[in-house]
Amino acid sequence: MTVFLRRAAAMAHKETLHISRDAWTLYVGLVLPLVLLVLLGFGVSFDLDHMPLQVVDLDHSPESRALIEDFTAAGEFVLAGSLASGDEAAQAFAAKQSVAVLTIPEGYARALARSEVATVGLLLDGSDGQSAQQAVTRADALARIASLRSTGRAVVPPLAAATWTRFNPAGRSALFLVPGISAYVLALVAVLLTALSVAREWERGSMEQLFCTPVRRGEIIVGKLVPYLCMGIVQVLLVLAAGAWVFGVPARGDLFTLGLASLLFMLGMLGQGVLISIITRNQMVATQASTMTSMLPSMLLSGFIFPVDNMPLLLQGISHLVPARYYIDILRGVLLKGNGLSESLFELAMLVAFASLMMGLSLARFRRKLA
Amino acid sequence: MMRILVQLSAVFVKEVRQTVQDKRVVALLTMVPIVQVLLFGYAIDFDVDRVPTAIVDLDDTPESREVLQGVLADGTLASIGRLPSIPAAEAALESSEAAVVLIVPEGFARAHARREPARLQVLVDGSDPTRSSVAAGAVNGFVASRLSALATAGPRIEVRSRLFFNPALSTPVYMVPGIAGMLLLLVTTVVTAMGLAREREVGTLEQIRVTPLPSSVLMVGKVTPYILIGLVDVSAALGVGAWLFGVPIRGSLLLFYAVTAAYLLTTVGIGLLISTLTNSQQQAYIGAFMFMLPAMLLSGTMTPVHSMPGWLQPLTYVNPLRYYTECVRAILLKGATAGDLWVQILALVVIGLLVITTATRRFHAGAH
Repeated sequence: MTVFLRRAAAMAHKETLHISRDAWTLYVGLVLPLVLLVLLGFGVSFDLDHMPLQVVDLDHSPESRALIEDFTAAGEFVLAGSLASGDEAAQAFAAKQSVAVLTIPEGYARALARSEVATVGLLLDGSDGQSAQQAVTRADALARIASLRSTGRAVVPPLAAATWTRFNPAGRSALFLVPGISAYVLALVAVLLTALSVAREWERGSMEQLFCTPVRRGEIIVGKLVPYLCMGIVQVLLVLAAGAWVFGVPARGDLFTLGLASLLFMLGMLGQGVLISIITRNQMVATQASTMTSMLPSMLLSGFIFPVDNMPLLLQGISHLVPARYYIDILRGVLLKGNGLSESLFELAMLVAFASLMMGLSLARFRRKLA
Repeated sequence: MMRILVQLSAVFVKEVRQTVQDKRVVALLTMVPIVQVLLFGYAIDFDVDRVPTAIVDLDDTPESREVLQGVLADGTLASIGRLPSIPAAEAALESSEAAVVLIVPEGFARAHARREPARLQVLVDGSDPTRSSVAAGAVNGFVASRLSALATAGPRIEVRSRLFFNPALSTPVYMVPGIAGMLLLLVTTVVTAMGLAREREVGTLEQIRVTPLPSSVLMVGKVTPYILIGLVDVSAALGVGAWLFGVPIRGSLLLFYAVTAAYLLTTVGIGLLISTLTNSQQQAYIGAFMFMLPAMLLSGTMTPVHSMPGWLQPLTYVNPLRYYTECVRAILLKGATAGDLWVQILALVVIGLLVITTATRRFHAGAH
């Protein structure tokens, strides 16, 4: 046992020297998580605002101006000038001047005065689908408010809904994204860096040299993985600390569960990286294989940004094989909902299963490769 | 002139042979883009619907059932079943079984009969803000429709929406053009950066340097195969997009390929530049990734540029992916012409030339 530890420690020492002499590895390990956090936390907000709006006001009445005021008051729409007629909309969209054009027909104020239905038009640039979608919803709501105001009398609502939002009342994207960032960074660094570092030994022939030393297969793998495991732990702490400090991400639940889940997830990812490198033995192929099997699924099929419930059934099925999905579930549960060990048992079991599968396959493949 | 062409084709042939030699690389270079378009196309859907909803009906009257049915009618919320009590509903929310809980309190029907406001209670899991706002919107929309059904007597403002270019507002139609740019970036930048780094790592770069090849010829010969691969990949992506997701092709294909070529110049140029800054394939990959990730997030593909905070927006001006995405969306969906897009095309060409000359210079300087 002590021999095993000594040899594994020697391998780990060698790998640590590789890493610490390579500024790039440190960048990706420590700077990339923060860059991602800042870009996703500040830049990617699915609550869209500042949508450029152009108007065609053919009515020129105080009422029509009040409606335009309503549209731009809340900051969702920003006035980007006016057009002479709706026919110019397509051209304005092609030139990216606006994403929506509000047209108020002649007689708008008259229709309101007569208690009739006043119809206004909203032309939308469907090539910017996210903005268009949001614009339709917002415009309907704004028109409803404006209708009530012009009614001028109080209506007793027959039905009212009281909504409480739990866990993230302000609806901030950062709270939602931080757990995913942590998973994505681990998937990226653990799978990719280990895959590249092992594949490089094959490519350069230094793996053969290692085989001539008394170090055993298991010791090579353990020694290779330990430094990356440590790096992963630092990354998780970094993302969570920065998330808490910059975006106020809470940690309401059991931190032991969080640590355990992170460790299991990392072991699975490291195992996957080793497996890829043993199968491919080539850095270029290893990167593409890691992209396909780890980074893309961790981004797209894990619920990181896009909810899994919304996907076609086949993709939902595949998403059950993506360990990041379980890890993100646990993280969100612990951080936002205050969950603990008992709520996370199933997800933890899945992470254990994935990690053992990857490690087992790696060891088996590694032995066979040599024989 | 003749000599340069001979040299160019020699480098080109060498590069192609080296790439084709490993069948797995070829398979990956052609398969990855198609898988990506499929994944992105099917996985990303900004129309949130079928939000799992638990129901707690404490009133259990015909009125309460009718209202619950009405809220669920448009399919945004999908019932996962009835729960007996509010604590049970909260547990479902915590375990993520449900994202929304609709509660009809006792006395709902009675309040309704007395013409008092009858209250529905809604619990929403806010950890996913997009989903929670859509869910709350669905309930409020239903409530408002009841209200306006009552207030038909007064004046009313109605919005009639008309969507240009993408009438069904299908997500893949506007996402696929953005994805095309992302996958070109993923394939060409990484492969170029790693290809040159590999030569340096294995030591063959030194051997090439002893030959009479000028470094500019070496650069051009090296990137040409990757530009061709990029053109093949983008065609595959466009084919899948048009065939499976109904992405229209309204503009000129010639313009599309010209813009793609200009964009590829920037992506392979950045790959070359990264490879002159690094010593190994691992570093080259990391370098490429450090560029690609921000480029994708700041391209306007995932979220529109005008909704980003003001201090981030200037960064998008140096991002070739932003210009390419704008061009492709405009050409495919709006049928834009070169005249409409000259700013974007000019920006791509300028960035491309700048990057490639810097890379060649650095490469040249590194030789001494």
